[in-house]
Amino acid sequence: MAETGVLKPPGVLGRLGPVGRLRLVIIAAVLLSWEALAASGLLFRDVVPSLHRVAFALVRLLASGEFWSNAAVTALEVAGALAIGGTAGVAVGLLLGGSRFAERAFEPYLNYLGPTPKIIFFPVMIMGFGVGWGSKIAMGALSSFFPVALSTAAGRRGVDRVLVRVGRSFHLTPWQMVTKIYLPAIRVPVLNGLRLGFGVSVIGVLLAETKLSNQGLGYLVMQAYSRFDMPQMYAALIVVFAAAVALNAFIERFTVPRGRRT
Amino acid sequence: MKGTAMAGDTPPIDARGPGAGDPLLVVDDVSVRFDTPQGPVTAVDRMSFDVRPGEFISVIGPSGCGKSTLFNVIGGLLDCSAGRVTVGGATVRGPHPSIGMVFQEESTFPWRTVIDNVAFPLEVRGVPKAERLDRARQTIALVGLAGFEQRFPSELSGGMRQRVSIARTLVFQPGILLMDEPFAALDEQTRLLLGDKVLQIQQDLKQTTLLITHSITEAVQLSDRIVVMTYRPGKLKRIVRIELPRPRTSDVVSSPAFGHYVAQIWGDLREEASRGMAESETAGRSP
Ligand SMILES: Nc1ncnc2c1ncn2[C@@H]1O[C@H](COP(=O)(O)OP(=O)(O)O)[C@@H](O)[C@H]1O
Ligand SMILES: [Mg+2]
Repeated sequence: MAETGVLKPPGVLGRLGPVGRLRLVIIAAVLLSWEALAASGLLFRDVVPSLHRVAFALVRLLASGEFWSNAAVTALEVAGALAIGGTAGVAVGLLLGGSRFAERAFEPYLNYLGPTPKIIFFPVMIMGFGVGWGSKIAMGALSSFFPVALSTAAGRRGVDRVLVRVGRSFHLTPWQMVTKIYLPAIRVPVLNGLRLGFGVSVIGVLLAETKLSNQGLGYLVMQAYSRFDMPQMYAALIVVFAAAVALNAFIERFTVPRGRRT
Repeated sequence: MKGTAMAGDTPPIDARGPGAGDPLLVVDDVSVRFDTPQGPVTAVDRMSFDVRPGEFISVIGPSGCGKSTLFNVIGGLLDCSAGRVTVGGATVRGPHPSIGMVFQEESTFPWRTVIDNVAFPLEVRGVPKAERLDRARQTIALVGLAGFEQRFPSELSGGMRQRVSIARTLVFQPGILLMDEPFAALDEQTRLLLGDKVLQIQQDLKQTTLLITHSITEAVQLSDRIVVMTYRPGKLKRIVRIELPRPRTSDVVSSPAFGHYVAQIWGDLREEASRGMAESETAGRSP
């Protein structure tokens, strides 16, 4: 294209590249069909409210104190869940990855339980931890434990054996072996596990909140739904979605191996 | 204890090191057996030799003859099935503080920059930051990597990474330097020049060095004595004293005496190497 010798500075669309442009087109197409569907009135009542109503609801939602207090509850529940499930997952993963015996004895259970929908344990959690935030944290922690444990175990097994021998030849203390060899070597798989664990703990917490609760974003969504306030329900969903995407992108920044950035 | 060799059909020419004084490192009748699903494998069979203070010794043998196994035993990373290794008279029961090891495999820390890799042994010993970075920088320059301090290993060639590993071990000035085919990944020219560097460092510091290699020229270029091993089981075949004058540089490779030594050791190794090749061909594994 630049054969004529004049290089024009690319516009915004040009700078995006073909993939970025396609993504924009997809988003625009979805929004347009949404609006068309809303205008057509084909679907029962407000199942697909028009975009400007969702936008208004979003603004109203973000301006309300009720939203922020519920969002804070959910955020704290997810943080607590990830702290508990993540810590337990890393610890169990290190044990499993470090011993062939433990791996063969226990890992099949993790592999089978991992993909099982954890919501089936919710009744147990309610009995154990009550209808408040306790059972939500328990659900999130249970959900995040599995991907973190499995990913850590795989990472621990993947630690280059020669690096361990290097550490031994330099007389590292057991603590130094952990902090200077094992942890840096498994950083990427552990963070990947935490990213997956974060995703499923959000799911676990929100799902639990929609089932039985009196606070949190899941509760808010269900409130809007029971009032048939579809615009507000969609607004809440958009906020949850945006927050999850942003946090995921944030964690991803740390999972690119150092020195391997392209 | 005596460091005299006991195994091998051919009696070793000279199992004792040059110069006076007690040997610093003694490999005393060491055997290593591995239990494999196919049955026990004797990787090292009754090896004995000793290393005097300040001496440069090479252990040479074809691939798979048990050199790395011996290296791990001397470094205290692997227990031998019989015999023992002593350093300064004391039996080795784990990594010895005065032995520095350079591994055959890629062993740099991919998450550390070159300078942080090289400073690593000083860091774990609690050397203050300014001092350890200073010493690391000097050692990096010594192996010819000045200017690459802030790079990550993934940004370097295989040969450069191996030089980082060598610098990382040299930096804490171990009493005994133990290297397992450290130059194997390098091209011939770099190998000769880096060999010069290591030799120069070794002579300057009077550092006792045990080099494991499969390269005859490398062994003759650098060593005071060469320990030749047989193939499967790894036994002591012969110990050859290299009487080439010091200081030696890579120029020595063109001298007639050098050629004489190479021919002599090749004579010893040819039989072992061809046995190794035949075996690996029938077993279908790469040498
Ligand atoms: N951990 C192990 N288990 C079983 N066999 C081994 C082990 N390590 C080495 N061997 C065997 O011992 C022999 C010597 O290996 P090695 O010391 O690596 O040889 P070299 O370094 O001379 O190439 C080889 O036949 C190898 O297959
Ligand atoms: Mg080897």
